[in-house]
Amino acid sequence: MEKLRILIADDHEVVRQGVRNLLEGRPGWEVCAEAVDGRAAVEKAVELKPDIVILDIGMPNLNGLEATRQILHNRPEAKVLILTIHESEQVVREVLEAGARGYLLKSDTGRDLVSAIEALHKNQTFFTSNVAEMVLENYLRNKPESSPGTKNELTPREREIVQLLAEGKSTKEVAVALGLSVKTAETHRANIMRKLNLHSISELVLYAVRNNIVQVVQPGLESQRQS
Amino acid sequence: MVIRILLVDDHPVVRHGLRALLGLQPDWEVIDEAEDGSEAVDKVQRLNPDVVLLDISMPKMGGLEACRLIRETAPQCEILILTQHDSPQMLREALDAGARGYVMKSHAARDLLDAVEAVSQHKSFTALGNGD
Repeated sequence: MEKLRILIADDHEVVRQGVRNLLEGRPGWEVCAEAVDGRAAVEKAVELKPDIVILDIGMPNLNGLEATRQILHNRPEAKVLILTIHESEQVVREVLEAGARGYLLKSDTGRDLVSAIEALHKNQTFFTSNVAEMVLENYLRNKPESSPGTKNELTPREREIVQLLAEGKSTKEVAVALGLSVKTAETHRANIMRKLNLHSISELVLYAVRNNIVQVVQPGLESQRQS
Repeated sequence: MVIRILLVDDHPVVRHGLRALLGLQPDWEVIDEAEDGSEAVDKVQRLNPDVVLLDISMPKMGGLEACRLIRETAPQCEILILTQHDSPQMLREALDAGARGYVMKSHAARDLLDAVEAVSQHKSFTALGNGD
């Protein structure tokens, strides 16, 4: 029997190690690679053709949502399992729209990770119980709220550039990161600002934060489940 | 040197990862785990670990509050904060609360073993993510 090949993408080594630890030793399963951000995940998914890709959402350079879109665009047969700390309805909706088949909270990993991967492997879906309720409620309300505002007007390339700019990269650094000419990157940037009706980089950062394109750690909020 | 460690984090996957990293040291022993601050305070009293690896953001009781309580009830036990907060302000708060060490989760693979060793010898070890 062929092995079930799994790619793990998370920017925290300790989380990758933990996932690996939970999965290794399962007969017939193999962690074929790890990736430290969304861009590396896309590259490794294309190169190594894993059956299952486990993706964090909040990662530098390219976040997990955009990575999901790009991986499934390149390899529609891959199954994406999101492993995150986020439990908001909006994020869940975006994850499903991006094509992920499973959604697991990091706080539930011990119990559910193996079950989630087994489900995806059998072409089923898997959601953490709170998320499953959320999805069901949304369905029962029968109003599939569309994602807010203008975000969907951006192309995948433009969303990537929004993230890099919001992370503080200059247009030139964006060009280098994506293998574009500076002029092309400038054109993308101008298109983004025009489409979103933004006038400064700080407005763009705010947009990126509000739309979960980048994550912000809020040091003051000790009691929140962020780590 | 034998070091007895209590792991405190609300995410099982992180605790698994930490066990794997710490397991590289033959003499170190993860004696137990806790998933929030109040469970950590209880287990410190019962088990008397040498080092508590403590997350900051957790439900019920966060790491800073747990840190203060542990310092009061078990002053011989050293606390190493392991967090995603890359912030000098948070580092200061952690040290004020009595932590001996502060390490970023994103740099755990690089810093954790050195940090545990340092705090177990009652030396401080702090490392933010900037400029590394």
